[in-house]
Amino acid sequence: MATRLMFENSCEVGVFSKLTNAYCLVAIGGSESFYSAFETDLGGIIPVVKTSIGGTRIIGRLCAGNKNGLLLPHTTTDQELQHLRNSLPDQVVVQRVDEKLSALGNCIACNDHVALTHTDLDKETEELIADILGVEVFRQTIAGNILVGSYCTFSNRGGLVHPHTSIEDLDELSTLLQVPLVAGTVNRGSEVVAAGLTVNDWVAYCGTDTTATELSVIESVFKLREAQPSAIVDEMRRSLIDTYV
Amino acid sequence: MVQYNFKKITVVPNGKDFIDIILSRTQRQTPTVVHKGYSISRLRQFYMRKVKYTQQNFYDKLSTIVDEFPRLDGIHPFYGDLLHVLYNKDHYKLALGQINTARNLISKIAKDYVKLLKYGDSLYRCKSLKVAALGRMCTVMKRITPSLAYLEQIRQHMARLPSIDPNTRTILICGYPNVGKSSFMNKITRADVDVQPYAFTTKSLFVGHTDYKYLRYQVIDTPGILDRPFEDRNIIEMCSITALAHLRAAVLFFLDISGSCGYTIAQQAALFHSIKSLFMNKPLVIVCNKTDLQPLDGIPEADMKLVMEMKAEALKTVMGQGGEAANDEGVLLTMSTLNEEGVSAVKNAACERLLDQRVELKMKSKKINDCLNRFHVAIPKPRDQKERPPCIPQAVLEAKAKEAAEKEKRKTEKDLENENGGAGVYSASLKKHYLLASDEWKEDIMPEILDGHNVYDFVDPDILLRLEELEREEGIREAEEEDEDFEMDGQELTPEEREALAEIRKKKSLLIQQHRIKKSTAESRPTVPRKFDKDKKFTTQRMGRQLSTLGLDPSMAIHCARSKSRGRKRERSVDRVDRDNGDAMDVDMDQPNKKQRLRSRSAPRSRSTSRPPGELVPGEGFKDSAQKIKAHKLGKKSVKKRNKDARRGEADRVIPTLKPKHLFSGKRSIGKTDRR
Repeated sequence: MATRLMFENSCEVGVFSKLTNAYCLVAIGGSESFYSAFETDLGGIIPVVKTSIGGTRIIGRLCAGNKNGLLLPHTTTDQELQHLRNSLPDQVVVQRVDEKLSALGNCIACNDHVALTHTDLDKETEELIADILGVEVFRQTIAGNILVGSYCTFSNRGGLVHPHTSIEDLDELSTLLQVPLVAGTVNRGSEVVAAGLTVNDWVAYCGTDTTATELSVIESVFKLREAQPSAIVDEMRRSLIDTYV
Repeated sequence: MVQYNFKKITVVPNGKDFIDIILSRTQRQTPTVVHKGYSISRLRQFYMRKVKYTQQNFYDKLSTIVDEFPRLDGIHPFYGDLLHVLYNKDHYKLALGQINTARNLISKIAKDYVKLLKYGDSLYRCKSLKVAALGRMCTVMKRITPSLAYLEQIRQHMARLPSIDPNTRTILICGYPNVGKSSFMNKITRADVDVQPYAFTTKSLFVGHTDYKYLRYQVIDTPGILDRPFEDRNIIEMCSITALAHLRAAVLFFLDISGSCGYTIAQQAALFHSIKSLFMNKPLVIVCNKTDLQPLDGIPEADMKLVMEMKAEALKTVMGQGGEAANDEGVLLTMSTLNEEGVSAVKNAACERLLDQRVELKMKSKKINDCLNRFHVAIPKPRDQKERPPCIPQAVLEAKAKEAAEKEKRKTEKDLENENGGAGVYSASLKKHYLLASDEWKEDIMPEILDGHNVYDFVDPDILLRLEELEREEGIREAEEEDEDFEMDGQELTPEEREALAEIRKKKSLLIQQHRIKKSTAESRPTVPRKFDKDKKFTTQRMGRQLSTLGLDPSMAIHCARSKSRGRKRERSVDRVDRDNGDAMDVDMDQPNKKQRLRSRSAPRSRSTSRPPGELVPGEGFKDSAQKIKAHKLGKKSVKKRNKDARRGEADRVIPTLKPKHLFSGKRSIGKTDRR
C-alpha cells in the first residue's frame, strides 16, 4: 500500500518522517494532517511519534534506525532523547551518536538486517550501527554518490536506488542487501529517492508529485499490495520504456 | 520537445489602431517642446529623433507579428498541413510577407528622411520633413490593413485549436459521418463532445485523454469523411485527413454495420480502400459499431465479405510494419456505444497495439541504452545462509484480514484537531502516547537536564526546610532591628540622657512645626531679603543667643564681628604688635621690603596669600621669573599708547555695516548680481 502525501506543501515526505517496522517518527507540523496520514495506517500497530531532532523538523535526514534501534545525531537535545525513549517501546534502543557527519539519515541506509553507510563515517560509529541496529555494515556509494542514505531506500522486501545506478552496481548492491533492487525515481523524476519516499515492510509513503508509473514501480519492488518485483520486467516494462525513452 | 501553443500570440491591431498606437507613443515618449531660437543642429536632432523613434516602434511591433506567427515550414507537418487546410498556406504566407515588406519599407523611409533632415535649414523645414516621413510610414501601414485583419482572425482561430501533441501516444478515431465516433470518444474520455443524430456534428478536431496501464493516451475525434475525390473534400473532412496523414497514432476505423448512419457497408468499405494509404505503418483497428441494432454475424454474405477484405487489409498494415502478422486478434472488433458493449475492449486493443508499436520503435533507438538499468530488477544472489525475513507485525496481517470484513474508522489526530478549533488552534500533547509502566506518569514533568546531568540531582532534598530555617532566623533578626529603631521609652536611660532626649524631641517637633507653617504660607508670603527679615537677620544678639543655647561663650565672637563691621581705626595697640611679632616672626624672617611687611600685617590672617606677580607657574612657558616680569612689562607697554588714546583694539566688539550701500543700490543688467 503506497500513499501519496505532502508535508506543508513539500513533497519530500522522507525528509519529515522516519518509518521503520517498529515505529514511525513524524515531524511536528502546523496541522495534524501529515501526522494523521500515518496514524490512520499505523496507529495501534506501531507507535507514531511526533518529535523534533535538534529543534529541527528534518528528522528523516538526521536520524537512522530500524526495528532494533534508533541512532540520533549529537545535535539532539536531552529532552528530545527523553521524549523518544518514553515514546518508543523498550525493545528499541535509542542512542545518541557523536559523529561529525550529523545528518545520519543521509549517511546511513538500513533495513533490519543490512546497512549501507557513507564511506567517511567513524570507526566507532560503524560499530555503534552494528551493535544498536543489529545489522551488517557496508561502506558503499550509490551511482557515485556518497550520501547513500539520500539516494537509496530499502526495506526487508525490496529497494529503490538512484536512477543512474548501473546494472552491475544494482546486482552487486542487491547481493549485499539480499533484497531485489530497482533504479527509479519519485516525485516526478526526483533522484533523491529517500527524500521523496519513506517505506517499511508493509506500507510506503511518497510525495504528491509521484506519477502513476513511479508509484506502481514502488508498489512492485517493495511488494506492497501483493505486487511482485518481477512485474516491472513483465507487464510494466512497455509502459516504462514508453515513459522513459 | 517543441510545445505547440498558439494561444500566446499577441493581438494584432487593425491598421488604424496600429497607426494610433505608434503615433501616440511617439508623442508621449519623445520631447515635444521646441523653440525657433534653438540652434539648427538641435532642431534637426529633435525631428530626427521623432522619425527614428516612430520607425523603431513600427519595426518592433511588426517584428513581433512576423516572429510570433508560426512558420508553416518550421513546425510539425501535422500543424503545417492543418493550418494550410484551415487558413490556406498561400494566403497566410502572403499576409506575413506583406508585413515583412512593410517593415522594410518603413525602415527605408526613415533612413531617407533622416538623411534629408540633415539638410533641413529651419524649424519649419525640419518639421515638414518629419510630417512627411510619418505620413509615408502611415500610408504604408494603411496599405497592409487587410493583411493585419486577416492575421488577427487567424490568431483568434488558432487560439481555439485543440492542443494536440503530435509526438505523444495518440488514438485517432475516423470513419464516415454519424457512425458513432464522438459517442465512443465520450465513453472513453471526459472530453464531452457534442453528439447529435445528424452528419457532421463534429466539425473540427477534438482532443480527450484516457489512461491505460499507467500511461496517458491522447484521443482525437475527427470529423466524418466522405468517399469522394481528394480535391472535392471540404475543410472539415480535410482536418481528418491531415490528422490521419501526419499523426503516428493508433487508428480506429469506425464501421456502422447497421447502416443507420445512411451509408451502406459497401460505401464505407470503399472509403476504407480509398484512404487506406493513410493507414500505412499505423496500428489499425476496424471497429464495427452499433451491434445493438445489428450483430456482426447477422449481416448479409456480401457485406461480410467486404468486412473480411478490410480486415485483411488492416492486417497488412501491421505486416508492413515488419511485425508478427499471424496474430489477428484486436484487428476487427465489435462494440456498441449505446449499451457500452465492447467499448473498453476496443480501447484496450488500440492502446495495446499502439504501445507495442512504440516500444518496438524505441527499442531500436540509441536512447534505450541509457535507460536499460531502469528496466532491470536486480535479484539478489544468496551470499550466506542467514535468513533475512521481513518484519510485519501480526496486527497488520490481522488488520488486512479484518479489512475485508469490516472497516472501522479510527479517530485520528486530524479529527481531534478539527473538533478542537482546527489547525493553529489545536495543539496536541506530545506525551499522549508515551509507553510507560504506569499511565499516570505520562503527564509528569520531564526533568530539566543540563550538560547531561539532571539538574535535580544537584538539589538538596531538605532545601525547603533549610530555607524555612533561614527565613525564620532572618525574621528574628529583622524583628530585633525593628526593636532598635523603636521609640525609646527611657527605661534604661540616666536622668541626664533623658533630659537630652526630651530636648531633642522638643527641637525636632519645633522644627517640623516651623517647616509646616512655612510650607503652608509659602505662596502668600512676600519674599523679603534677609537683611530686612527680622527673624532671619544676622544680628549679634541673634548670634549670641544661638551660641549660648549651644553652651558656648558668645562674647569673643560678638566682639570679633563688631570689630569687623565697625571700620578700622588707626591702630596703636601694643598687644597687636605683640601678636604680630609672636605669630609671624618665624614666617616673615626675610621679607624683602617694608611695603610687603606692612601689607602682611594689615591683612587678616585668615586670608591666603596671593601669588606674587613674578612667580613662575609651570606651563606658562617662561624660563625664570625675571623673564616673566620682563614679558609682562613689554605687554603692558605695547598697549599703553593705544589705551591712552582710547583706540579700537582687536578685543573690542565690532558691528559691521549690515547693508552696505554699494551692494543695494543702482541698476543691474544681466549677470551683475554675483559680482557686486
